[in-house]
Amino acid sequence: MHREAAYHFFNPRNVGDADEPRFAGRAASLTCGAHVRFSIQVDENHGISQARFRAAGCSDLVAAASLLTEQVIGLTTPEAATITQEPVGIDPQCARLAREALLDAIRDFSNAARDDWAGDEALICTCFFVSERTIEHEIQAHGLTTVTEVSKACNAGAGCGSCHQLIQEIIDTELCT
Amino acid sequence: MIYLDNNATTRVAPEVLDAMHPFLSDIFGNPSSSHTLGREMKRAIDESREHVAKLIGASDTSEVVFTSCGSESDNWAIRGVLATHPEKKHIVTTLVEHEAVRNLCHLLENEGYEVTWLGVDHNGELDLDDLRAALRPDTAIVSTMLANNETGVLFPIEEIGRIVHESSEAAFHVDGVQAVGKIPINLENVDLFALSGHKLHAPQGIGALYIRQGISLSPMIIGGGQEQGRRAGTSAVPNIVGLGAACRLAHEDNDHARIERLRNRLEDEILKQIPNARLNGVADRSKRLPNTSNISFEYVDGQNILMHLDQAGICVSTGSACHSTTHESSPTLRAMNVPYTAAQGSIRFSLGRYNTDAEIETTLSVLPEIIAKLAAMSPYDKELSALK
Repeated sequence: MHREAAYHFFNPRNVGDADEPRFAGRAASLTCGAHVRFSIQVDENHGISQARFRAAGCSDLVAAASLLTEQVIGLTTPEAATITQEPVGIDPQCARLAREALLDAIRDFSNAARDDWAGDEALICTCFFVSERTIEHEIQAHGLTTVTEVSKACNAGAGCGSCHQLIQEIIDTELCT
Repeated sequence: MIYLDNNATTRVAPEVLDAMHPFLSDIFGNPSSSHTLGREMKRAIDESREHVAKLIGASDTSEVVFTSCGSESDNWAIRGVLATHPEKKHIVTTLVEHEAVRNLCHLLENEGYEVTWLGVDHNGELDLDDLRAALRPDTAIVSTMLANNETGVLFPIEEIGRIVHESSEAAFHVDGVQAVGKIPINLENVDLFALSGHKLHAPQGIGALYIRQGISLSPMIIGGGQEQGRRAGTSAVPNIVGLGAACRLAHEDNDHARIERLRNRLEDEILKQIPNARLNGVADRSKRLPNTSNISFEYVDGQNILMHLDQAGICVSTGSACHSTTHESSPTLRAMNVPYTAAQGSIRFSLGRYNTDAEIETTLSVLPEIIAKLAAMSPYDKELSALK
């Protein structure tokens, strides 16, 4: 094992569950049987103030999850959701599994934030604060037909991805009218 | 270093090394040569064969043939019988065999043989009625192990052999690799019996196959007339001498009772102290090897435990082997229906003649803490707290 990865395996950081109120996610692999849980606490500016994990899997997974908790504390949820950098000396599959669990936790937060939103316009993308009306406008103005095109045009859906289904529904409605 | 992985391999005994040493320095020669040196080598081989025959209870030394390893012995026994009886296309074996038998039988299925795979119950034991039902007129060979390498569970080979011979004309092969040197061997109803030197303090690279008188077996390695023309290749005299010395040591100075006491202490304390520990294999210790404990630490990962123990200087093995593409839990534990979350956390402790009381106490002093640390990290926190 690479030295930093081994250090994190033997001395895992941020083990357990984030304090309440927390948002949680999990990921598991059918090929290797590993299971990892992530929980985060998010401040009013969408900054991750706490990140904790639990894992039952190989040493690479434990190291990857531990490293990831350290990496995301202080980042905003869209920043954390779009991490793609591969940690050194860790099996990429294990690192990906840890990121999936984190992303699942961020989506848990985003879904709650969308439900809680009290603004005038319905909020769709909580990562980049894009409203339903803005998305409709972009679709009409540019004849957009896919979620990827919407994300490129106005950032909606470019973070944690929890709103992709909602954006698709807006596209479908616009296409029918 | 505390070595609790004696089912994987064992340290070469000093007595074995002493016996081998002259054959790696001053005494050399080809045992097939007729001159003095050759004859001396031949005598050494004969003497080793006697020690092997004595340990396993063969009635004649000619029944013991040296091979390169246990896997060769298993392969030869099975393929040799099949080659001798080309009209018979049926094999009976179990789901918990070592890869040397299991993977060979899978290969033979692809070659057109029909294999009946006998299952085991949650204790790792066979239902002998399954065996009775499996035997057919075209069954060429029945192959089972004596002691399971992972759990130490023993199969009743005397009874299996009796059933095989009463109800069929099949040959009965026993993979005895994990048993030799650990328990007394009874070959009464056994036709072929494989053993491996490095499991009983001989070096790696030497094995033997017992072939009961009257059993005809096609040779697998063709060449010179070594081993009564049954297994060609210049004899590995130093290794053969090593195996002979190891068998003599196991016969004259076995340490079974002491090893069993240490194993019992380790097993009892682990099961008592650690809430998520559960034994794999039959609880009745008379039905298991005296040196082996296979214990699952539920909801934590075996490879993690192994690495923490390794860092503490303790060598064990795990039933779950992780590669980047597969994380296979052991076929033996799967056949026993051990739940996935327990199979993933299985650790095999296998003791040997060089383990001490102090080593067991040291292991017991570090293990609970390691398991507690990993349990605190487990995503199965609800399941774990229900166990307490």
